Amino acid sequence: MALKGLKLVGKPIKALQLRHVDAGSCNGCEQELTALGNGFYDMQHFGIDVVASPRHADGLVVTGPVTDTMKRPLVQDWDAVPEPKWLIALGDCAAGCGVFQDAYACHGGVDGMRTPDLVISGCPPKPQDILQKIALWRKTLG
Amino acid sequence: MIATLMTENDWAAHNVRRKNLGAHVLGVTAFAGGRISIHWLMPSGQIAEENWDMDGVEFPSLTVELPEVAWDEREIHDMFGYRPKGHPDLRALVRNPRWPDGFYPLAGPNAPSKPQWIEVAPNNPAQTVEGEGVTIMKVGPTHAGIIESGHFVFSIIGENILHVDLHLFQNHRGVEGQLQGRPIGSVWPLISRICGADTVSHQTNLAMAVEEMAGYQIPEEIQWQRILVLESERILSHLNDLAQIPAGVGFSVANQRALAMKERWQRGLEVIFGHRLLFDTVQAGKPLDVDIEALGTLIVELQREWRPWRSLVQGHHGFQDRMEGVGVVRQSDALRLGGQGIVARASGLTFDARQQMPLYEGWPLDYASETSGDVSSRFKVRLDEVEASWRLMERVLQRSRIHGALPVWEPPSDLAGQAVTFSESPHGLNAHIVAVDRGQVIRYHVRSGPFRNWPLLAKAVAGNAVGDFPLINKSFELCYSCLDR
Ligand code: SF4
Repeated sequence: MALKGLKLVGKPIKALQLRHVDAGSCNGCEQELTALGNGFYDMQHFGIDVVASPRHADGLVVTGPVTDTMKRPLVQDWDAVPEPKWLIALGDCAAGCGVFQDAYACHGGVDGMRTPDLVISGCPPKPQDILQKIALWRKTLG
Repeated sequence: MIATLMTENDWAAHNVRRKNLGAHVLGVTAFAGGRISIHWLMPSGQIAEENWDMDGVEFPSLTVELPEVAWDEREIHDMFGYRPKGHPDLRALVRNPRWPDGFYPLAGPNAPSKPQWIEVAPNNPAQTVEGEGVTIMKVGPTHAGIIESGHFVFSIIGENILHVDLHLFQNHRGVEGQLQGRPIGSVWPLISRICGADTVSHQTNLAMAVEEMAGYQIPEEIQWQRILVLESERILSHLNDLAQIPAGVGFSVANQRALAMKERWQRGLEVIFGHRLLFDTVQAGKPLDVDIEALGTLIVELQREWRPWRSLVQGHHGFQDRMEGVGVVRQSDALRLGGQGIVARASGLTFDARQQMPLYEGWPLDYASETSGDVSSRFKVRLDEVEASWRLMERVLQRSRIHGALPVWEPPSDLAGQAVTFSESPHGLNAHIVAVDRGQVIRYHVRSGPFRNWPLLAKAVAGNAVGDFPLINKSFELCYSCLDR
């Protein structure tokens, strides 16, 4: 029996399963992403979840400025996500405007791999903003 | 600061003597130009410095006598190309096969430029156990949850871990290199983001370094504010870790209720200090903008949720059983490897750098300590420390109620000198070694608590079931970020 999609403010939406990749974050973005799972934000209630494998995911949510060491693992994870897929840059570092931009071992965000489909800026972005941005963006996906 | 110049024969003897006197290594710092400095925090609170000036690119390794500096020396080898002579295990720690030959990012005086990385996989050779029935299991660097990146190579027999080889520094950004040559006044946002979990401790170290170099003494009201924000961070971090440990055994109610407390605390901190994770709050010589009344109310509100939660987790026999005897850190190992913070205090050691910090002088503080060295002890120490921090904050708040306008001090633009500062972060002793000339950073070395505790984690998991690794790991809850930098 297929579920037709959950209701969020009256609009039908689809579930969004994401694999998280830390590509050099300070762990601030991780903490706020984790907070989305607490009872105040309850992202699963909106059909959003962080899943254990890229094979189960609709896309990647990436944090950090993409350190050189994490560049390959990031690409490998991206390649392992089945099509169609989406790339979300979470936080200024991943978005390419964070404080570590010019450090020698940083590649300046996810852009070097692929232009992200969604950029959630902030250092770190607040959980409420993350949810809001994802909700607005999902509407544009139709 | 007591400084002595070494001859080759004294190097080991002097440093070992410091250790035997009960001192803690703040940092082993290399400088471009060939100097190695070891800073020790003496039990008296004084900082002692031992220097080795190289003639060439070799310096005598201390790892055999002082195993806690094994990683420091490997890092120096990777970053400067200086060779610790006699080091028993000089594998790459930070470097990996992608680094071009001859690229030593900290060997020069300026911020290194981005090199041409070699197009190969970043994996260093792993150290594994060989033998019949031994399986190798590789985990990471990306993980199945919301976790920082790290790569672990387990050697397993049956259910049991024989050995884990840590391949960290996946998140190495090059922060110390990035800081070189910058005006010291411009490094605040970077220092604040070395680690999202210990940010206040890092900010405070920088503030103290600038003030020390300029010879400025902050008024006591600003000292009190710093205690408040440091303790607020400790509680925030402990609440996070206390939520994660029950998650490691599937105790969802305890996990969710602790996450809710963390969220409430963060929301309060945002109103009181201006940031949910306390980034960019401490400044050299400047008062914090803190709402004393609101902080007092927040503590009372949190305690209302805390008490029943503490009874829940402590009264849950299943949960207690799962933590007991798991992931034991022996006291002798903690001592030998220079264990810090909760990891050391859960293994019968009592060191807490707040005892030596001038900032806390005169304030009564209950120091938590447990003896069994297992997950349960680390959980219990955190429980007690949260309550001790609240008690301290309440005392400080009491005294902070009335004060007039506080002076605002501006550091001089031509700041010069060297300072070694430290604080007790939620993850242990955190030290900064800072050298500045004409207002510009010459060297900025960060040595945080997790650096000394990672090797202890590897020791603690050996002999345990592989299924308990997540639980043991969460009970350490070491940041990768301030390790990798
Ligand atoms: S954007 Fe800010 S919070 Fe996120 S990883 Fe970067 S420095 Fe940390």
